[in-house]
Amino acid sequence: MDCAALLQQYKIPPGIWDEMATASGTRSQYNNIVAALQQYAVSDLQQKDRLAGELFMNQGITFTVYSNNEGIERIFPFDIIPRVITSKEWNHIENGIKQRLKALNLFLKDIYNEQQIIKDKIVPAALIASCPHYTREVFGIKVPYDIYVHISGIDLIRGDDGTFYILEDNLRTPSGVSYMLENREITKRLFPEMLHNNKVKMVSNYPLLLHEILLSLAPQQISNPTAVILTPGIFNSAYYEHTFLARQMGVPLVEGRDLLVDNHKVYMKTTYGLQRVHVIYRRVDDDFLDPLVFKPDSVLGVPGLVGAYRKGNVAIVNAMGNGVADDKAVYNYVPAMIKYYLNEEPILPNVPTYELSDVEQKNYVFENIHKMVVKRTNQSGGYGMLMGNKAEEKEIDDFKKAIEADPRSFIAQPIIKLSTVPCFINGKFEARHVDLRPYALCGPNGIDIVPGGLTRVALKEGSLVVNSSQGGGSKDTWVIDVE
Amino acid sequence: MLSRIADSMFWLSRYMERSDGLLRTVRTHYILMLDKGVNAHLSWQPVLKIFTQAKDEIISAIKDNSEASLDYLLLDGENINSLKILFAKARENARGVQDHITKEVWEHVNFMYHSINNLAPEHFNHTSVIEAIDTLTNSCILYNGVADTTMPRGLSWNFMSLGRYIERCLLTIELSDKYFSLIDYNIEDEKDILQWRPLLLSLSGYELHLKTYRTTTYNSNTLHQVLFNENFTRSVLYNLIRIERYFSKITKQEPSEKTEALNKMLGRLISKIKYTDFTSLNQKTMPSYLNDTRKELASFSRQLAEQFFSYY
Repeated sequence: MDCAALLQQYKIPPGIWDEMATASGTRSQYNNIVAALQQYAVSDLQQKDRLAGELFMNQGITFTVYSNNEGIERIFPFDIIPRVITSKEWNHIENGIKQRLKALNLFLKDIYNEQQIIKDKIVPAALIASCPHYTREVFGIKVPYDIYVHISGIDLIRGDDGTFYILEDNLRTPSGVSYMLENREITKRLFPEMLHNNKVKMVSNYPLLLHEILLSLAPQQISNPTAVILTPGIFNSAYYEHTFLARQMGVPLVEGRDLLVDNHKVYMKTTYGLQRVHVIYRRVDDDFLDPLVFKPDSVLGVPGLVGAYRKGNVAIVNAMGNGVADDKAVYNYVPAMIKYYLNEEPILPNVPTYELSDVEQKNYVFENIHKMVVKRTNQSGGYGMLMGNKAEEKEIDDFKKAIEADPRSFIAQPIIKLSTVPCFINGKFEARHVDLRPYALCGPNGIDIVPGGLTRVALKEGSLVVNSSQGGGSKDTWVIDVE
Repeated sequence: MLSRIADSMFWLSRYMERSDGLLRTVRTHYILMLDKGVNAHLSWQPVLKIFTQAKDEIISAIKDNSEASLDYLLLDGENINSLKILFAKARENARGVQDHITKEVWEHVNFMYHSINNLAPEHFNHTSVIEAIDTLTNSCILYNGVADTTMPRGLSWNFMSLGRYIERCLLTIELSDKYFSLIDYNIEDEKDILQWRPLLLSLSGYELHLKTYRTTTYNSNTLHQVLFNENFTRSVLYNLIRIERYFSKITKQEPSEKTEALNKMLGRLISKIKYTDFTSLNQKTMPSYLNDTRKELASFSRQLAEQFFSYY
């Protein structure tokens, strides 16, 4: 069978925004891709699918699953059909994210210094005081250029009318950017002519932009500052990404045991003795960074690091304590922050969110629980979540009990039917739900977002959970001009 | 360079070299066992003794069973020196230094790891064992080629080379000691060249031997080759000279008291080998000569680690 016939059979689920197909035909941004796909036989695509898997495997872009004491290497599933976003849509997204990040940076500066936003009663003090990620240990620390969020991966979803919503702000150590870059490299192998014909915007300069920002944060004006990436080590599931970025930027990849702090300065242990470190892009969570200040049994961090940070002798990217700004309950206040700090209307809306510590809102959520998704505020990765439309009564009751016991730790949102895109699954084109995570970089010269990002796709039919730990995969994401 | 990185580079290389040596020895041994002749009593015992830490009862249980021995030497998950574990350790080290080795080297080490994990014990039955070993050996050779053609000649390369030559030198001493002990270090005797085929083939030195040594004093000729022949890439002297070369490149950059002491230690060891009076080696002196050489090299390696790799 050829792909033209297969594309005819592509069915979109009712009441959902499909990024390629409408009831009457194909959206113009997909015209070129559809035309190109029609030239292939199904076996060609299956061949490409296999090749993609091999390329990921051979490059070691894998994660390890342990069972029976044996490690099994798996690749993150990759769907070969690219997801397309028009430049017009992209400009909207880009402006929205820039605006949001500006406000979030101002919020972090405020909340760890004057706390004006609390005094002006925009954000309730109780909300911040009860946030487990509000880090008193870093109160008052001055960070270079007042930038707290250098690297972010803000998650967007698209509702049934095509509106983009902000789902989550990931402001701590967002991962996945290596997949955005590798997915594009793989697509170059699979569909070179399609890339060429669509004039897809480049993403490959991301590591260069990141490197420039890291160097610009060096605390001293020296000609050749040392920036490093701090990784938890080879057993971390994102380790591949850490090595990828180190290689692309040409900076050392260090572990906590490679570093030490002496007289409030950070050094790395080299074969020729100690060498000063000026900037640390850490991929270790706050809690593990410094055993003297946070978890005392952490071996992933560096004793004394917070002291050096407080003295301004080392820059840490992202800043410590950012968790307060991407808390799922604080999320609800980001539109208000945008108004408060920037005096602007939010460009990208939030998903409506119910705070369960408010009795009225809680009652409303309980009455409509089958239309809601309930999330724990302190968990991510698709864990600690209740999908009201799919859950069993028992599960719902358990959640209700947990909410009654500790309402601050939960939020509820109406279930948004994420948009779908065509995926090549088992020799057919099938609609699957996706989100979008663009990667934004904030430096002294402003905010840069490479056009594209990581499209995560829920590969199970009908599933709305895109996290890789829950059977999600990814796609290459193209931003193209459409007349 | 980070001490941890240097350490991993060093061990990546050692594990790869050890794998190579293991494969060559296993192949030689397997093929020679198929001939009934002077080697009639050849068993897997010496190989198991050298390459594993198996208890005597395990060794005696499997030493005459090729398939069981091969499985133990190559695929066993319990044997910490099996090829499978060596590849896994090499890969683990490579993973930790991914940004210091070239993409090509990483991809090849990763490929080797996956390919041995895809091998099942049935690949080592009599019909396909040689083919399987050859594929793995070629993979090791390819690793050396890929590393040689793509790695930049900097500190990384120097530490990798140190690892490779130290491992190779130790292996030569170990193997030679084992085979000379079988004839009770009696080097005045002449014996049969066939007696030396397992050792020489395991070290890829059999052809060189035939071309170089024209007399029938096989025992002393073999000893000369494995210790002193500077053209033989697995001789002790050849490897010590390489070790000194790469070590001096590392220390030249920032000499210190400690590195100076290490330099002298290495110099003494090389001089000892280089200026050994060959006629002084006999049944009496041989065991301690080999043993001292091994000890001194091991001690050098330990102090090298203290100087450059300590990061805990």
